[in-house]
Amino acid sequence: MSALPSRLQAGDLTVATQDLTKRFGDQTALSDVSLQVPTGAVYLLVGPNGAGKSTALKTLLDLVRADSGRAEVFGLDTRSDGARVRANVGYVPERPDWGYGWMRVGRLLEHHARYFPAWDTAYATKLARIFDLKLNRKMGVLSKGQARRVHLTMALAHRPPLLLLDEPTDGLDPLMRDETLGVLADHLSETPTTVLISTHHVEEVERLADHIGVLREGTLRAQMTIDALRAGLRRYRIEVPEGWQGVASLNGTVLRRATGGREVQWIVWGDERDVARRITDANGIVREAAPVSLIDATLALLGTGQTATAATNS
Amino acid sequence: MLISVDPGDPRPIYVQIVDEVRRAMVVGTLAPDAPLPSVRQLAVDLRVNPNTVSQAYRELEREGLAYVRRGQGTFVAATSVNGTERRALAAAVAARALRDAYRNGLSARELIDAIEAAESTGTAATLRDGAEETEQ
Repeated sequence: MSALPSRLQAGDLTVATQDLTKRFGDQTALSDVSLQVPTGAVYLLVGPNGAGKSTALKTLLDLVRADSGRAEVFGLDTRSDGARVRANVGYVPERPDWGYGWMRVGRLLEHHARYFPAWDTAYATKLARIFDLKLNRKMGVLSKGQARRVHLTMALAHRPPLLLLDEPTDGLDPLMRDETLGVLADHLSETPTTVLISTHHVEEVERLADHIGVLREGTLRAQMTIDALRAGLRRYRIEVPEGWQGVASLNGTVLRRATGGREVQWIVWGDERDVARRITDANGIVREAAPVSLIDATLALLGTGQTATAATNS
Repeated sequence: MLISVDPGDPRPIYVQIVDEVRRAMVVGTLAPDAPLPSVRQLAVDLRVNPNTVSQAYRELEREGLAYVRRGQGTFVAATSVNGTERRALAAAVAARALRDAYRNGLSARELIDAIEAAESTGTAATLRDGAEETEQ
């Protein structure tokens, strides 16, 4: 039996924060968050709206300053080296409507290109075609999805070593979302990139991801590779005797419980054999121990702390 | 060859790619020495991380199902389609069926009897005949 991992056994980190804490008035946006994004990873930061995801990303660009804790990107302190960090990051903000509403899309791309020596004009043109950008439209009249695509183009076209994508698929129709995932897969094949994606739509981007961090109410509940998550979490269907008292020794690792008649369904974190043995020792019959899809795993992790404290099923 | 993956499937995506290639080899849609798509191409087609495709290709190589020709890509191994691969595929299908049976409170014996009954009544005949045609 082991606690959910919140630290990676990683070597080279492109993003590393230590105990980041940020309050807005009496609201705590981040509480001791220690993100670890290994170089080359595609890291999903998941959590419900208001969990602190956008604040965490902004802290990495020094667009928001934490009250305490440290944030390092490329080994640089974001407080003292914010400008250097921003110059090497492609950022898609959650709300793509900031500023430049009066500017036409084509003009904005030209304007943006001048800030980035590495801007690849041919690639920008290609992206504009794939994303079907209307270059003569003004930014201010674009739909959310259209503005998102402009920002994706601006983020990708200078091939930065780090992409910070805040809800990148939000507002995209299913066809354009699919196209965007294709663009990202192609981009990763061509350009060595570390990607940090914040989203509350895990299922929309999970194919690209290899790491996951789960943020709830400003606290990082868990952080690990997706392989570790898949390996460590199982859904158990258990046939139980009348009036079953559960398994006290699994207390704290059962993330989800459901009961129907004499069958219970648990999602449990831990070694499958060990968990199954403990259930069997408590007179439960394990009918199935099945891997859990990433979306269900995420939901289970987000629920941590709500249900895991109950000692028995009820 | 068509490879498809499903993120809802509990198998990791790289395992799904390996299984799809194995299946195509056993069924015969992938001939020995046929080229596999490039990592980039398959990553874009499936909308997956290119590292996942590389991992799948490394696994195929490790299992002796594929080989790499420097600068040219990954190819299906020449000696790959034999009884061993068919048995491995059958074992995987059996394991899945058995898990399903057990979840439904059925024993292995009950499952085997039901499979044989289904076979003799022709429930699966359409599927099976289709499979036999592609094998030739």
